Amino acid sequence: MRKYRTQIFFCLSAAAFMLAAGVSTNRSLAYFTTYTSAYGEAVLHLGFTTTEIEEEIEGWIKRVRISNTGEQECYVRVQAFAGKAYQDSLVYMDGSGKWSLGEGDYYYYNDILAPGDVTEELLIQIDHKQREQDFNVIVVQEHTPVLYREDGQPEYNWDIRANTGERGRRD
Amino acid sequence: MKKRRFPSARLLLLFFLSAVLILLSAAGSTRATLMYYSENYSVEVAVSNIGVSLLENGEVISCRNYKEDRWAEKTGYLLENRFDDERLVPGRRYPEELSVVNSGAIDSYVRVVLYKSWKNARGGKDTTLFPELIGFEMNLNRSGWIEDRKASTPERAVYYYRYPLSPGQETPALCRSFRLDPSIWKEVTELVSEEENGYRTITTTYAYDGYSFCVNAETDTVQTHNAQEALKSAWGIDANVGADGSLNLQ
Repeated sequence: MRKYRTQIFFCLSAAAFMLAAGVSTNRSLAYFTTYTSAYGEAVLHLGFTTTEIEEEIEGWIKRVRISNTGEQECYVRVQAFAGKAYQDSLVYMDGSGKWSLGEGDYYYYNDILAPGDVTEELLIQIDHKQREQDFNVIVVQEHTPVLYREDGQPEYNWDIRANTGERGRRD
Repeated sequence: MKKRRFPSARLLLLFFLSAVLILLSAAGSTRATLMYYSENYSVEVAVSNIGVSLLENGEVISCRNYKEDRWAEKTGYLLENRFDDERLVPGRRYPEELSVVNSGAIDSYVRVVLYKSWKNARGGKDTTLFPELIGFEMNLNRSGWIEDRKASTPERAVYYYRYPLSPGQETPALCRSFRLDPSIWKEVTELVSEEENGYRTITTTYAYDGYSFCVNAETDTVQTHNAQEALKSAWGIDANVGADGSLNLQ
């Protein structure tokens, strides 16, 4: 009988321990939680912008158009140089209303030029002043990438400078 | 004839103590159950259903809901097919509204953890590029969303919605748009090669060209009952809970 009582004692102790442990475990696992997630990525293809100038000469008028042959949209500007004797006699004519004289005596195209797009014509009339001598009229065109302000509006910065080397990377 | 003996007083005491312990344990369980279910117990039987859904621009893209004794899950993708026809341009803003819906049957708190990183063309994560250049226009404070700055890093930001969400309720948008910083245009690398005739060729490439920006939005939810303990246990945060159930991070 003494043997049975010992067994009963241990059985009851074990049962009590299991119950106590079970109750504790339930309390710590009782909070309802769940989760979900979503992942996304996109490749950044920057590609350099390139532009080409198209010039046609009719009499003493140059018809200038710029085409965006690159992969990014850009702004363009144009200026003609003819040497000291003729520089002041160059007359710019814009039938589209999209070219305007701006900083540095450049003519700026007001619209963003998307890849594949071509500007409207800018006419440059040359007054040779009845002189019998050769001279060149060189048209310079430049482009700059379209930047966006914090509010999402596009803007240009003709003074943008690139950071070379490892400055775009973390140490 | 064998004499029958009554159990000793010590044995009886042990039985009594065991019975008391069992009763207390049972009472404890009952009390715990009532604590967790009491709010909706008289109204709805399926009180233990918890669920959460993540919305992108009003559409559910991912969710995990407990229904009919099993988890119903859906995992979608952010920005899916967004740039198939449109080129991704640094500086430009793209609409990206993320919000959360309580798709369960009990009131709950929600949080969103946003991860940002760069991946190279081979698919490896590049930790030398700046995750800060991947920007989201956040809609914080007045919307009810707050950032846990102590838990945030350049690669990870943790946002809590301060108020409990009722079943079916949607949070205001956590963010409105995303934008890659336009300074990416200025980051270039130059490779200079010297040729035999003395000329040098300088090749310039954009530092971030060909890289992918990666974002991951993780949404967690936890019950509102026993809020402080639940938040501590599930999310490891210490928060004060106001009378209206609003959270304030400590």
